[in-house]
Amino acid sequence: MIRIGFALFVLAVSIFLTAPTLQAETSPLKAVNSTTDRVIEILKDKEMMKAQRTTERRNTIRKSISEVFDFEEMAKRALAAHWQKRTPNEKREFTALFADLLERSYIKKIESYSDEKIDYLSERIEGDSALVRSRITTKRNLEIPIDYRLLKKNDKWMVYDVIIEGVSLVNNYRTQFNRVIRQQSYEDLVRRMQNKQEEELFSEKK
Amino acid sequence: MKRFDIELSAGIFMLIGILCLAYISVKLGKLEVIGGGGYSIYANFEKSGGLKPGSAVEIAGVEVGKVKGIKLSKDYQARVQLMIKRDVALQEDAIASIKTKGLIGEKYIQITPGGSDKILSEGETLKDTESAVDIEELISKYVFGKV
Repeated sequence: MIRIGFALFVLAVSIFLTAPTLQAETSPLKAVNSTTDRVIEILKDKEMMKAQRTTERRNTIRKSISEVFDFEEMAKRALAAHWQKRTPNEKREFTALFADLLERSYIKKIESYSDEKIDYLSERIEGDSALVRSRITTKRNLEIPIDYRLLKKNDKWMVYDVIIEGVSLVNNYRTQFNRVIRQQSYEDLVRRMQNKQEEELFSEKK
Repeated sequence: MKRFDIELSAGIFMLIGILCLAYISVKLGKLEVIGGGGYSIYANFEKSGGLKPGSAVEIAGVEVGKVKGIKLSKDYQARVQLMIKRDVALQEDAIASIKTKGLIGEKYIQITPGGSDKILSEGETLKDTESAVDIEELISKYVFGKV
């Protein structure tokens, strides 16, 4: 009798544990929502927000974000026509650099979060792609629409573009990267990004 | 005899005038008398404010097509039909954005080409779009705030 009880307990626990991940796989809105919630949880944790834990905190935030953000797809779309000309090695290097830069430039904004309200308005699924619409309401009552575009990859919804106030992140970088590559070269673009990365690293240390 | 000459020339003058009128209306109305070479694709926008049939579709400032029609889709989006010249290939991950010429000029669609292997063909939909940025709305939002 005890055994059956224990088996039921294990079953219940395993269902409970897998349920959220299963849901995240089925709905793009849930995927975005659960990641945002996880990040907000970290930001609300007073213990984690202490200055001496900055590196640890940022690593945790980065890890949560990279679970739902498909940085390779983002890098690919941002480089557009230039992506195909790169070797697999260069692609890998570029993706890592791009992801790092994105995270570094947005993490401070993320950390400045202070109880802004986030509403998820709707999701629209068309085959393998989806659009999740959300809205952030700031304390001054400004409403900022933020839309996420997602692709389904290996049964998991991954974000590949963020549209803030109607402006697409990928399109912004696509135009910039294209200009640098046309006027100079791909190598120059990588060098510029590395410089920017060093700058960010330097300012973080200060 | 003299009277007949005047009538004849007036008639010819009228005829030329009507022909000119027909030519102008075809040109200005952007009517396609003969089929028009190209293929049509669709793009969904949240807001298509100011875009009209006949608006230009540009890549790098070069006109590659025209807006053929704008309809309201079932989920209240603007479904824009674009007529693209046959010799211009658009990748599946190309981004279509509604832009304004100058600060208050006419609206047009700008396409930033993508890098995907998949090329869009007749009747397919461009997924990535940026809607028209409503400058007045933005200004009022940041000047007055929201209640």
